[in-house]
Amino acid sequence: MKILVPFKSVPDPNDATVAGAAVSTPKSVINPFDEIAIEEALRIRERGEVSEVVGVTIGAPAVDEQIRAALAMGVDRAIRIDDSRALDPYAVARILGAVVEKEAPDVVIMGKQAVDDDSNQVGQMLAGLLGWPQATFVSKIEFLDNKTRARCTRETDAGLEVVEVDLPAIITTDLRLNEPRYVSLPGLMRARRKPIEVLNCDQLGVTVRPLTTVLSIARPPRRAAGTRVESIEELMAKLRQEAKVLSQYVF
Amino acid sequence: MDFAWSDQQRELLDAVGRFATQQLNYDVIENDREGVFNHDAWKKCGDFGIQGLLVPTDYGGLGTDPLTTVAALERLGYGCKDNGLLFSINAHMWTAIIPLVYNGSEAQKKKYLPGLSNGTLIGGNAMSEPNSGSDAFSLSTTVTKKNSKYILNGSKIFVTNGPIADLLVVFATVDKTRGPNGISAFLVEKNSPGMNVARKLEKMGLRTSPMAEVFFENCEVPVENLLGKEGGGAFLFTRSMTWERGCILASAVGSMQRLLERCIRYANERKQGGQSIGKYQLVASKIVDMKVRVESSRHMLYHYAWLSGRRKAVYLEAAMTKLYISDCWVKCCEDAIQIHGGYGYMTEYEVERELRDAIGSKLYSGTSEIQRNIVASMLGL
Repeated sequence: MKILVPFKSVPDPNDATVAGAAVSTPKSVINPFDEIAIEEALRIRERGEVSEVVGVTIGAPAVDEQIRAALAMGVDRAIRIDDSRALDPYAVARILGAVVEKEAPDVVIMGKQAVDDDSNQVGQMLAGLLGWPQATFVSKIEFLDNKTRARCTRETDAGLEVVEVDLPAIITTDLRLNEPRYVSLPGLMRARRKPIEVLNCDQLGVTVRPLTTVLSIARPPRRAAGTRVESIEELMAKLRQEAKVLSQYVF
Repeated sequence: MDFAWSDQQRELLDAVGRFATQQLNYDVIENDREGVFNHDAWKKCGDFGIQGLLVPTDYGGLGTDPLTTVAALERLGYGCKDNGLLFSINAHMWTAIIPLVYNGSEAQKKKYLPGLSNGTLIGGNAMSEPNSGSDAFSLSTTVTKKNSKYILNGSKIFVTNGPIADLLVVFATVDKTRGPNGISAFLVEKNSPGMNVARKLEKMGLRTSPMAEVFFENCEVPVENLLGKEGGGAFLFTRSMTWERGCILASAVGSMQRLLERCIRYANERKQGGQSIGKYQLVASKIVDMKVRVESSRHMLYHYAWLSGRRKAVYLEAAMTKLYISDCWVKCCEDAIQIHGGYGYMTEYEVERELRDAIGSKLYSGTSEIQRNIVASMLGL
């Protein structure tokens, strides 16, 4: 049995670059939700329920650093789809669909979304393209019936929902599924001996073109400085008239 | 000299930096106050691969070269604020692992190095005595051989990791009048009959690194636990001390870098008299001095390690590196406190602890005065 884990390289959300100290440039890391997916796949393999965990990502050679991080965590082998275009979720799902056809995994586990664009679409689109069942926002995974089905606990606004899906299936991970392990130095050394297969869209037989175009990216406007008020009455008046967060008719 | 990192080195160093920043900084203030060693963080470092950096791969380590090793320890010191933990790791690496790697028999290496590499064993050494410190080879702990056992008698002080060590490298003499040539080294396991780890010593800084007095009263050591040759203890100690002097302040360079960045941040944020305090030349000047100290310290460190990796004689460079970085570290900590004003003096700001931790660096592994003696002697004085 085999698990495929697609993962994305994103700017490090924890990177605190200190202005003026010139100590670091913004670094890339594995998307944290995908890291949780990798961890879950490894734990399933360590329990003896699957024999292989394969990682796949899309990008230029620079993402090999994140691939090696995945291999260092314990992923058995990895595939990089060599494509440096800015791909939208549908294009990514199409490419991953072709990888799934090639690799024929029993389960695909991936992050529910990437922390750079927060699209939260690829898992669902991939399931749609493949015609596979999906369980999204998952915080617990168990295999049932001789590993022909998976019982997944989903985190929803209404509470925890338990669903069962037939395998093969797409499972997308939420934050509370697990805490990813730390890459150890011996793990890094071992990762250097693991294979990275490089493919392109032509070899996979897919032609993708973006359906969406990003027009611009801007920082949110800076918050104006606060003001000091003299009385409760003044505060209430400002909340009503300036901030417009209180109705005129309340109280 | 080429200090440009290969992709593999950079990957390793980045991993160490991330690990140290994210995994080791908890309960540091409380542990410092109470003098508590963080066993859990020690084990994390072992699992991660820190203690095994230099250990050859055949014995469970990573087999990194000296330059990569000190750079990794620098990243460790940058990320991890528990200087006591790092001091314990240093003592373990330079005074237990290095003598074993260089002088251990095959059986000794197989028995101890894997555990010392992954952190399941804690090591240290016992050299200083109440009446022999800087004049280390005048030690009085005696060894006699009796029925295929060595018998140790004497007392050792300032034994880093003493209260937690599973294995100590203990130095003793067959005959004090023979000076350095009478000294041998022994691997003594904890709970050996006749070994008594006495009171834990309270200290000014590095309080999370436990230190003790250790007494030997007819302590029996199996003959196979002689480390190196009989009478080879002084040579073994000098080699281990050269490594220690060269490398032990690698983490201090990281600590200085962290303090520098913190001071830059604070000097930009803190406003007095209508402007950032960093705009005042007296403050900026201190920060510039810090920057120059970090850079020059790093160069001393890398140069030493680069030479060491090429198997050059580094006795002089190790002493200069230790002397220079310890001085820079203490001055950086003083400046950092001064820049932070009253806040820097407060425990919760975690700057004052750095100064307390730094001051010991002018004392351990040979005082600054001893380092100067070494440099002077190497200059023909």
